[in-house]
Amino acid sequence: MVKFDLDGVQNVEVSRKLPCEKTPAEQLEIMERYTATHRESLGLSREQRELNCLQVLYPTLLRKIEPDDLFAGRMDVLPIGFGCVTSLGGVGHFCVFNKLRAFQKELTDPADRVRVDALYDYWTQHDLKTLYCREQLTETTIGRFIDTEYPMIATARLSGMMLDYQKLLDLGIGGLRLEIETRLAQDPDNSFLRCCLGGLDLFVRCADAYIRMAQDQLSTAGESRRAELSRIIQSLSRITSDKPGTFHQALQLFWLYALLSGVINYGRLDDYLGPYLVHDLQTGELTQDQAFDLVKSLWTMIENRRTTVNGRIIVGGQGRKHPAEADEFVHIALKVAKSCRYVEPQFTLRFDSTTPEDIWDEAMDALGAGATYPTLYNDDVNVPAVAYGMRVDLETAKQYVPFGCTEFVIQGQSTGTPNICINLLKLLTIYMNSGIDPMDGKRKDAGVPIPVLDEIGTYEEFFAGYARLVDAYLDMAVDRQMASFRMMNEHVSFLMMSMLTDDCIARGRAILDGGVRYLGATNETYGNINTSDSLYAIKKLVFEDKRYTLSQIGEAMLANFQGYEELRKACLQCDKYGNDLDTCDTVANELYELVAKGTRERGIAAGMQYFLIVISNNQLNTEWGLRTGASPDGRLRGMYMNPANNPQGGANQNGPTAMLNSLRKFDPRYHAGSVQNIKFTPALFNENREMVKGLMKTYFADGGCHLMVTIVDKGELEDAMEHPENHQDLIVRVSGFSAVFVHLDRSIQEELLSRVLYGEESA
Amino acid sequence: MKLSVMEIQRFALHDGPGIRTTVFLQGCPLRCPWCANPESQAGGKKLMYLQKRCIGCGRCAAVCPSGCITTEDGRPIFNRSLCIGCGKCVEACPAGALRLSSRDMETSEILSVLLRDRSYYRNTGGGITVSGGEPFLQGRGLKELLALCKAEGLHTAVETTGNTPTENIQACEPLIDLFLFDVKHPDPVRFKEVTGGDHALVLHNLTLLPPQKVVLRVPVIPGFNFDEQVLGDLFRLALSYGIRRVDLLPYHTLGRGKYEQLGRAYPYDEAKPLSRKDLESAKAMGEALGLVMG
Repeated sequence: MVKFDLDGVQNVEVSRKLPCEKTPAEQLEIMERYTATHRESLGLSREQRELNCLQVLYPTLLRKIEPDDLFAGRMDVLPIGFGCVTSLGGVGHFCVFNKLRAFQKELTDPADRVRVDALYDYWTQHDLKTLYCREQLTETTIGRFIDTEYPMIATARLSGMMLDYQKLLDLGIGGLRLEIETRLAQDPDNSFLRCCLGGLDLFVRCADAYIRMAQDQLSTAGESRRAELSRIIQSLSRITSDKPGTFHQALQLFWLYALLSGVINYGRLDDYLGPYLVHDLQTGELTQDQAFDLVKSLWTMIENRRTTVNGRIIVGGQGRKHPAEADEFVHIALKVAKSCRYVEPQFTLRFDSTTPEDIWDEAMDALGAGATYPTLYNDDVNVPAVAYGMRVDLETAKQYVPFGCTEFVIQGQSTGTPNICINLLKLLTIYMNSGIDPMDGKRKDAGVPIPVLDEIGTYEEFFAGYARLVDAYLDMAVDRQMASFRMMNEHVSFLMMSMLTDDCIARGRAILDGGVRYLGATNETYGNINTSDSLYAIKKLVFEDKRYTLSQIGEAMLANFQGYEELRKACLQCDKYGNDLDTCDTVANELYELVAKGTRERGIAAGMQYFLIVISNNQLNTEWGLRTGASPDGRLRGMYMNPANNPQGGANQNGPTAMLNSLRKFDPRYHAGSVQNIKFTPALFNENREMVKGLMKTYFADGGCHLMVTIVDKGELEDAMEHPENHQDLIVRVSGFSAVFVHLDRSIQEELLSRVLYGEESA
Repeated sequence: MKLSVMEIQRFALHDGPGIRTTVFLQGCPLRCPWCANPESQAGGKKLMYLQKRCIGCGRCAAVCPSGCITTEDGRPIFNRSLCIGCGKCVEACPAGALRLSSRDMETSEILSVLLRDRSYYRNTGGGITVSGGEPFLQGRGLKELLALCKAEGLHTAVETTGNTPTENIQACEPLIDLFLFDVKHPDPVRFKEVTGGDHALVLHNLTLLPPQKVVLRVPVIPGFNFDEQVLGDLFRLALSYGIRRVDLLPYHTLGRGKYEQLGRAYPYDEAKPLSRKDLESAKAMGEALGLVMG
């Protein structure tokens, strides 16, 4: 059996979670009750087990309504519980072992610690992710999330679900109940549908719990707070059965449902909330200021969940049912984003060539203020690309939404979880070292015959050999992705999410049990650009100029270029991606097509609707770089790798137009999201606003799919490393997420600093 | 034919309207002591040395064929009068501490770079700018480049000192949409004394250009022309030529590092850089005279 570290950290967690409201004794008691319920339900159906366990958690884990909250809905997450993502607890019935150990250390009574040991032992046999790892990981080729010794890592999770909130608001809980009951009448033995109804009952119990809590708070509240609490009580009372009638009721219903289903991305809020907002503004139910406060309260609720790489809200773009009303929401949301400057929500603007200029200007204002939001997605490019890549019609494609670091799903209709990450550069270093990873001396060739370097006669032969190794890993990638679906389905139904995902109710089946209309997934690729720059350097130095042999380059890599300074300089001087040079950009595209098409074809063959690469990034480019050998692009051993689809830090020296031209060279039909970062100084961005807007719009008109913009002063990042206390509000875009700069590890800070900052010299 | 190019800068925002690409050509007849591109002065490739990158390996001296480079305590010493600009040392340096100030590029090769950003020009009303140095010193090549650009429908601007053979300007004029024309001082004697330039030639060249194609540019330099009377005279001069727009460029010291790289002392040490704010009253004066001020 493969060994892996149970206590290993499973996910990027830069933002610290709020401390649990419950005492340690209460937490322990809840976790024990959950564990006992799970054990007692082992003989039941997975959906019944899930429901029984959810009933232990809720409403117990709901947090109190904070004095500034304008609607209700906060929740604690314990080291043991139920979930769907690794950013918040874990997957299915989970135990996060490192957090359970940390919890144990805080207990003072040795008897309590023994109780935790018992829980720990039980979950080593039942935590879903552990079961997956035990079955699917290998000794040297596939590691757990996030073990950077391996060229590929795999996990079980159901990230990025975007539910059909439109349906929830249109039907209300009562209408949803009726739909399920009607379906159940045709299929009375369907235990999944029956448990869905139990899930709705649970929702009602949670709403009732909050009503009681708000009522209790009324007695001590001041006059204005009493009005707010009364509104919360009214809204909660209504939405337990009826569909919402006001913006506040709609917000309350959406939020509480999202919370209970465990999702951490929130879909096209403007479209489903816009009509309620406009109605209330027109009837005088709300003023603009009150609407702003409500949206800001939502932003705070999302920020307080602290998921680091999620919390997506998407506004704008094609395919909205209520575009005019939605745009009202967009205007308010852009002002909120500018005023809050939170790292979450990841506020995302979809647009196309018809997007009004005032929305552009408000977006530029928010970016110029240093918010790092909105992130920008170009529908003119993405909609047709999604239609092709995911094999859906254009109308369906218009419902694409980015989640997490950038991965696309179809809202309410598809899965898109990235359960695989692959390090292309590590594979190249292994390929160039007879199949052995230079970092730890272990063989990681996945059984692929690796040629002797000096017996390779042409670049094409060299590339083909590398492609064989990549192919072998892609075979494993699709296999592990499918295995994750299978194993999750064996154990859980994700009831709350299934109810708002097409076509689970109609088919009477849970999401992964054949319920979801489009079973999709994504594959995160890392080190893409270091790899393609390396391939180009080899093409140029070995096969075109014949300046060095392959084995000389291989030796230099193993020596981390020590004693090979001239060779390294030659490597560094080769053309680099990000400068709009066809030489290296062509090689980058060949690599992209190999990996992107290879992934997509395998997904289709395995029966998925789509399996597409995402060129995203959290901070894994840096962490994986630390454990990746020196590479022929001149990168030293242990150095960070390039972020997302961007050049290696500092390699782009031809200005922003050249970088943007490089970025848009890949065919967007073969990826489900590719993060494109750009960094400007405030002086350049704010004093040349029209020119920067012209720059961005041209990039988009020429086929750019997306941009993430950071505005930061020269020297500010350096100063923040020296004096973090003075820069607590400095927010930067890491790639797939934003973070407070001083909360990041030093190695990540260094990578961010290496990226080219576009500014101008001025007196 | 080939042009001697110091740099091609993409996404230039201040060398004419819109997003532009600026081509900096080698060679200048003037010797302005505040010059920010001293490597442009005099023709030929200049060797530039970045001391802080140097690792003292001595390989440059070992490969130098002209005896220009010797070493002392492992560091190179340059006798620049012997340098022939062959670039052998640049190639040999493993640390990237040496470079040549310019390289020869075919006009077609330059054009291919310029065309890369064509859609940015189109969407922002931009184009290409040729700067220097003094671009008209390479008149024939410049004309060829401009003709290529016009054939592609690009908006063309040239930054010039005006201190250049009249026939070169005349030959290129029909191919140029905008002249960014420097007049640095109204007084011929002072101009000659400080820059070595020929004021009469500058003004003569200016008379030959259609004024609607000209923006007058004034680098505002403390101790030289940062003076109400002097700037006022320049504004009136512009108006007398029918020129509607004057751009003031505040003095900066960003070129200082290049003097070090060339092994030269910075010749204009006494002055402090100016900010845009420092120029506000001068701009107001120009506007009061009816000029558009940039």
